[in-house]
Order: sequence, then structure tokens, then C-alpha cells
Amino acid sequence: MSRFLFTVQPLAGHVNPTIAIGAALTARGHEVAWAGSEAALRPLLGPAATIFPTGSRLYRDQGRQGAYAMKTLWQSFIVPFTRFTLPAIDRAVQDWRPDAVLVDQHAPAGALVAHRHGLPWVTLAPSSLELARPFAALPRVEEWVRERMADLWRIAGLPAAEFFDYRFSPHLLLAFTTPALTGPMPIPDHWALVGPVLAPRPPEPGFPWHRVDPDRRKVLVCMGTLVPEHAVAFYPRAAEALAALHPEVQGIVVAPDGAVPDPPEHLVVTRRVPMLELMPHLDAVVCHGGMNTVCEALAEGVPLVMAPLINDQPITAQQVVAAGAGIRVHAARVTPDGLRTAVRALLDDPAYRAGARRVRDDFAAAGGAELAADRLECLVPRPSPRSAAPEPTIVGGGASPLA
Amino acid sequence: MRTEEIHGQVTALLVEVIGDDPRWAPLRTARLDEDLRMESVEVLALAARLRERFGERVDLPGYLAGLDIDGIIELTVGDVVDYVARVAG
Repeated sequence: MSRFLFTVQPLAGHVNPTIAIGAALTARGHEVAWAGSEAALRPLLGPAATIFPTGSRLYRDQGRQGAYAMKTLWQSFIVPFTRFTLPAIDRAVQDWRPDAVLVDQHAPAGALVAHRHGLPWVTLAPSSLELARPFAALPRVEEWVRERMADLWRIAGLPAAEFFDYRFSPHLLLAFTTPALTGPMPIPDHWALVGPVLAPRPPEPGFPWHRVDPDRRKVLVCMGTLVPEHAVAFYPRAAEALAALHPEVQGIVVAPDGAVPDPPEHLVVTRRVPMLELMPHLDAVVCHGGMNTVCEALAEGVPLVMAPLINDQPITAQQVVAAGAGIRVHAARVTPDGLRTAVRALLDDPAYRAGARRVRDDFAAAGGAELAADRLECLVPRPSPRSAAPEPTIVGGGASPLA
Repeated sequence: MRTEEIHGQVTALLVEVIGDDPRWAPLRTARLDEDLRMESVEVLALAARLRERFGERVDLPGYLAGLDIDGIIELTVGDVVDYVARVAG
């Protein structure tokens, strides 16, 4: 039996895959725990999960596009969150003595701590962002990211000579995608593309199932859990496009309160949906191209219209277009008529559903949480009776305290 | 070619790429990233048009590759016009 510690961002899309992998490991007799914001993790993980609380902070400043969005992602989120959680994660590792640490690619404190204690650690890549290297053509932008990582390395008290790009574990990387989306790319032996790992979610008792009309084709609009202010303008345009497709089509819109002013009676507007239960009933999804919504749709063979906003969304959207499973529009520029035309194309042209089903089949064959668990078991020494576990090696002598 | 003339031509090429909409008016001070909301595919489309109009010496991707992160974020239509004027003018 081994112990696996997950260190994750406090976001449902990043936590959900760890639930399924955690369940697969537990079923094999291993112990799992999470280090992160208990306020964010507890509702997702349930009362029985072991959580080492790191506290939580809110980071709202987020650029709208491109390089500025990437800069704010690091400057306003990854760097301060990593600094803030380092001490608590270090304590969790010292107290609980995991055999391996699983590290969210955008919450790298776990990587710094694991390296410090000489533990094997695993990169979890829940998005398409880092694998696709979107700024490869802008070397000085990539250099800026490397400098931010070097700053954190220094803050963690690790020796400069050992610095490397710790967005990518040298031991194992688990990516929740497959070649049907990434396209042909070189996959190192220590990477495993296990496909989307979709865990059951807490129920959404407030969803108005009685308003969903079984006799109409259904289109869901969902711009993600973190809807930036400027994206709110997308909802009225989407509502107008859906109104133009009524009565053949019923629209279901997941939106913050007030985002769709005075919705028509036929339109279901709700803050939350039971996404996994609803998906098999849908004919098309309109979304921001976020990895989670995209994979949830494609896992059921549902094609997408994507209006990507930031970070990995343009990359994921482009991958779906290349797979023949959807259409990309410009979030800020698309008109209601342009959206209606795109949705119409998904409903009328069977090629998109066929494309989505090809991706679905590739996902289904990828291995999921069980393959992830296989690869994780290969990483840790077995059997490992806890009483005989060696003291963790301290890399770099632990010269400076984690600040 | 005078800078104003180049500005007029660059503006026309930008409108071809991002559409004619007062919200995206390519003023000299408009930033490609935050103001015009240009996506990388649109920047590449602009680069191809610039090369076609002004010749091989106008290498927008090469120019961008030399900029640091703040240079990319703050890059304006005026900067692109000045660059084109510098290498092709």
C-alpha cells in the first residue's frame, strides 16, 4: 500500500479528475489525500476525504486575452498561490509522508516540496495549455515564464543549479486528453495521455428537468465557472441566436444571474446544470472552449461551437476544429446571426457529430483513471510497509526555510 | 512611402482581418491584444497580408519574436505601422 498526495488548484475542473484517480487508487488499497483550500475542496471531495488545508485566497485580476492573460495568470494567480501554499504543503508532506505527490500544472508548490524531499512526483495536466506551447513563437514571453518559475524555486529555498522547468515532471505526466484532440505530437515515455477522467458530481437538485422538452433538439450554452466580466456580453447574443432557432430547438443557458435579461419563456436559464446527466440529451453545446466542458461534450459525442476567451481555450477550440468536431467563433466579434449559423451547421451537417463521435471513441479507449493508477503504481516502490519506509532524502540540505 | 500612407494601408489590411466595426477601430493607439482582441490566427493572417503588400522584408512574426512580454501586451497599431515604415519605407 502506498500514499498519494494531490496538490490542486481550488477549481472544480482541476479537482474533478483527482476524485476519479483517487477512487481508483483507493480501490487498489492505497491511501490518498489532498492538500489545498478546504473551503473549496470539501464540497467537491465529500466528508470522508483527507484534506490538508492550505487556506485559500481569491485572485480576480485576469487579463482578457493573449499574452496579458498569460501574464496575469502567473502574476496574479500561480506565483502568489504557490508562495501562499508552500509552507502548508511542506508540512503535509512531512506529517503524512506520501510516497508520491501529484501536482497540478498550475499549482506547482507540490513540485517544489516533492523535489525538496526527494519524492517522486507527477504532473497533472488538466488543460491543453502547457503541452501545446502557445508562445513558442515568442521566445521572450516563454523566457518571462521561466523567470517566474525560477523566482518561485528561489523562494522555496531550492539550489539554483538544480532548477528545471517543473511544469513537466521528469517522473510522470498525466494528461487528460488523447491524440484525437492533440493531433500527432511526440509523447515521451513518461507521459500518459489517459483521456478525460470524469467523476460523478454532487447532484444539482435545483435543475428544472420538467422544463426540458423531450420533443425538441437541445442546445446548451455554457461559458464556464469563471465567467470574466467581459464575457457576460456573450449571453444576450447567444440568447438571441437560440430564439431564432426556436421552436425546433430548445436552448438551455448556464449563466450568472441577470446575464440574460428577460429570457423568453421557452429558454431555460439557470445558474448550474447537472452537466454529466444532461449531456446525453443534447444535440450541440456552445461554450468557451474550456477543457472540461469540451471533454464532457465530446465524451458523449456532442459537437461544439466554441467562443474561446483566454489561456488554453483558443488552443482547445482549435484542436476540436481540427478534429472535425466543432466550429470556432470569435467571442467578442461574433454576431447573434453568426452564432445561429454555426449552431445550425452543427445540427444539419452530420459530419460534426461524426467527428465528435470519433473523439468519443478515442477517449473511451484511452484508459482513464485505471491507466493513471497503473502508471502511478509503477512510480512507487512496492510493497512499501510504512514501518520500514526510509527517511525522505532532503535535497539541497533544506538550507532555507520555505517562506 | 510616407508613414500616413502606410498607416492607411495597414489599417485597411487590419479591417480585412478583423472586420469593419467601430468597436475595433484600428487607431494608432489601439493595442492588438487588449483593444482589438486579436487572436494568434488573426495576427498570422495580418502578417501574411503585410508581407504580400509590402514585400518579404516585412516579417511581423520575426518582429514579434524580438519583443518581451510587455512589448507584446502593449503593441499598438502605431508600432506595427512604424515597423513597416522602418523596413519597407
